[in-house]
Amino acid sequence: MSERSLSEKLKHYRISQGEYERITGLLGRPPQGLEWALFSALWSEHCSYKSSKVHLRKFSYRNGMTRDDSDENAGVVDIGFGEKIVFKMESHNHPSFIEPYQGAATGVGGILRDIFTMGARPIALADYLCFGDENAPRMKSLVKGVVAGISGYGNCVGVPTITGYTEYDAGYNKNILVNAMAVGLLEGSMSLASSKAEGVGNLVVYVGAKTGKDGVHGAAMASESFDQDIDSKKPNIQIGDPFLEKLLIESCLEVLSKNLVVCMQDMGAAGLTSSTFEMASKGKVGMDLHLDKVPLRDSSVTPEEILLSESQERMVLVCVPENLEAIQAVFKKWDLDAAPIGTITATKKMRLFWKGDVVTEIDPTLITDSAPRYERPFTNYQSKHKTDKLGSVWSQTPQELRETLKQNAFYKNKNWIFQQYDQRVGTRTVKDASHSLSVVRLNSHRDLAISVGCRPAFMRMDTRIGAIDAILYPALQQAIKGFKPIAVTDCLNFASPERPEVMTDFVQTCDLYAEIAQKLDAPIISGNVSFYNETEGKGIPPTPAVGLVGLKENDERMPDCVFSEPGLDVYLVQMPGVAAYAKTAEVLKKDVQFVGDLPVAYACDFVSALSQFVARARPQVSRVVGQGGLALTLDKMTANGIACVIRVDEGHMFNSTGFLFEERLYDFVFAVTRTQRAVFEKELHDLASRWNLVTHVLGTSQNLR
Amino acid sequence: MKIGVITFPGTNCDQDVVKMVQAHGHTVIPLWHKDRFETSAVDMAIVPGGFSYGDYLRCGALAARSPVMHSVRELASKGKPVLGICNGFQILCETGLLPGVLVRNDHGQFTDKWTEIELVQTTRFFAQSGKTRLRLPVAHGEGRFYADKAELDKIEDQGLVWFRYTENINGSLNNIAGVMNKQKNVAALMPHPERAMFEWMGGNDGFKFI
Repeated sequence: MSERSLSEKLKHYRISQGEYERITGLLGRPPQGLEWALFSALWSEHCSYKSSKVHLRKFSYRNGMTRDDSDENAGVVDIGFGEKIVFKMESHNHPSFIEPYQGAATGVGGILRDIFTMGARPIALADYLCFGDENAPRMKSLVKGVVAGISGYGNCVGVPTITGYTEYDAGYNKNILVNAMAVGLLEGSMSLASSKAEGVGNLVVYVGAKTGKDGVHGAAMASESFDQDIDSKKPNIQIGDPFLEKLLIESCLEVLSKNLVVCMQDMGAAGLTSSTFEMASKGKVGMDLHLDKVPLRDSSVTPEEILLSESQERMVLVCVPENLEAIQAVFKKWDLDAAPIGTITATKKMRLFWKGDVVTEIDPTLITDSAPRYERPFTNYQSKHKTDKLGSVWSQTPQELRETLKQNAFYKNKNWIFQQYDQRVGTRTVKDASHSLSVVRLNSHRDLAISVGCRPAFMRMDTRIGAIDAILYPALQQAIKGFKPIAVTDCLNFASPERPEVMTDFVQTCDLYAEIAQKLDAPIISGNVSFYNETEGKGIPPTPAVGLVGLKENDERMPDCVFSEPGLDVYLVQMPGVAAYAKTAEVLKKDVQFVGDLPVAYACDFVSALSQFVARARPQVSRVVGQGGLALTLDKMTANGIACVIRVDEGHMFNSTGFLFEERLYDFVFAVTRTQRAVFEKELHDLASRWNLVTHVLGTSQNLR
Repeated sequence: MKIGVITFPGTNCDQDVVKMVQAHGHTVIPLWHKDRFETSAVDMAIVPGGFSYGDYLRCGALAARSPVMHSVRELASKGKPVLGICNGFQILCETGLLPGVLVRNDHGQFTDKWTEIELVQTTRFFAQSGKTRLRLPVAHGEGRFYADKAELDKIEDQGLVWFRYTENINGSLNNIAGVMNKQKNVAALMPHPERAMFEWMGGNDGFKFI
């Protein structure tokens, strides 16, 4: 190692010249030995958020249900009645492109550990996937592998995958996105577990799977762009074992429920290094760690590999010495290792030992808190596709156009994906992924809605509109079923932050998310940033995925999302905003364009008005019109063989291509029983006049045959 | 009734079955895979779904050889009822308490969906709702019922088929979704009745299953 030149070392450890100088300044000397590996891992973009942190601080809004625990593994919402919801979303993009099955599987495993390390039982998973053109090289096997990976892992650990979003666009041909969201429930006597190491003399205990050489330098790898040679990155890929994860969930929740633990932290990116350094640094204590006591898969694993391995299904916990025996008994019951590897010290230094000798001694805060903070250059966002009037772009009849769109991978039915996921294990699922809104039921007889957002076609059309839509669209999907959005998580997928145009999109997104979170009263409680989603200088479109959790304070019936019976009156309700040809124009290879604007304050206020309206007006069916416009939404609502029949003359607006295919932000469809009609119409009249909405009676629902 | 619910490492439907048992006012006796139990203390045992031992070797194979299954065999030999669901079905076949075996779905994929099954043969211990067609969800990768010709003929001749799918979802021979033993006290099926307890779950045909 010492034989290498400085430039070789910088390249190997992915540390820039400037960062090398900063490290040298902090240490008062050049880094040596294992310190290279430590700085490489924890100063990586993936672990340090060095390009994003100055902007993520804008997500500071909190309310009575949320508190500021932004340095914990996931965010927490206290929803009363002794129930707390813990959730987070995370990316596993780089590994999934290299090895789709393991990449996606370990993405699920990693996000689950963030949840149960806090004492919450994972109760639902969601995924947000962006693939390239279905005919792009490797794409069919990538899609198949990712879906199989999520299925293979999620099903086995016994957490239902109940919703998701799947995009297909050529912009992801060389960088697919795999984001997973996990939602946990903390209830009864379980209290929230911390990740802050405390108590001099307490033991540091390693639990779970043994350490191997997989995933070494994974965090640093996920912090750079791809080049031609992705095969050489395969050794950076972690291998998951959902069976071990299931045992880890049960054993960790058991020791937490017995109050045997001071704090707990999963080993995620940068493995043992990241977890122990962060625990020590948060608790302002030191640790003596004996690397030779870490359970290994084979004896050839080196100290540096032990520090950087991203072997899966491992956790670190701290306990008082008297509890060690009881903790070991629990892990033994589940056939897992629980090995004491160190102690908490008052030195505030991390001392790493190898066979009795100190190999490194360093102040952990230098590595965790003193990472560089970059204020990457950006400009004010300028709209690109805004026009004064939407052009008419198609000559086909509405029927022809609808059939053309339905041939595209994006618009095809995605049941083949969700049918590979266990959607009901845990017996909480009220609405699975076949519905427009996925819902689980809590023991308190309240319903929790889980949605993912960000429709990349709108991001490509306009970053401002797309970012507003990323939260607003799932919020409206929840409101139209009577839910109130309560909190947000995000997974901000972008290209290189070193390019100002990428940073401009990023900053615009952060500013809008911060504003919307406050106006919706739905704080952003956790999240993840994934930069460098690019290959040979070509980046992905900005894709700031969102996870949104909503609450309905009762378990009353919610409106259906398809026409569930004949004889319903069908209404179209239009909110003033944007009219666009976005996804539809892309699929047909026409110019993307839009008119109008989405005023944030108005749209956010309308979300709660819509939720209250639905509770009072009680429609039988409700749905927010999606991509492909009214035509494709009505088509989806026909799943039960019952359609909305529109009886108007040929020249009527309802038959025009524009009316049927414009993607309007936002249109809503309701269907109402005859007995409910009078109440519904009165409520609708009030809503429309207060919010300046346009309403139409479209037709009635009828059996197709 | 005191109903034993077995947990293997990797079982993930045990708490769902516990909820089902409690919904009927029965007492749950948690049974751990490493321990034998007193058969006099248990009136019925349920082997829930999941991925026992991570499906290592072959699904259900390791679980079948665990200490708790020794007691389950004893319980069954005393004529007390034993119900297997999903992975529990696989385990009871591997144990030899039920005929046949469950192999990979013919389409090669895990499948999660609502299915309709038809009651073929009744047993006085389970599924006493009187319904002859039930809508229940399945969630399995290895749910294809298989037996060689001689055994399959025997299963049919002796009336051991409990349920058949009305539409074959996984390549099961003779559409078999559930079987029972000759004494009718050991029975198992691939669909999950505990996931269809109430209308809000999407259907309640699983409610009167135990």
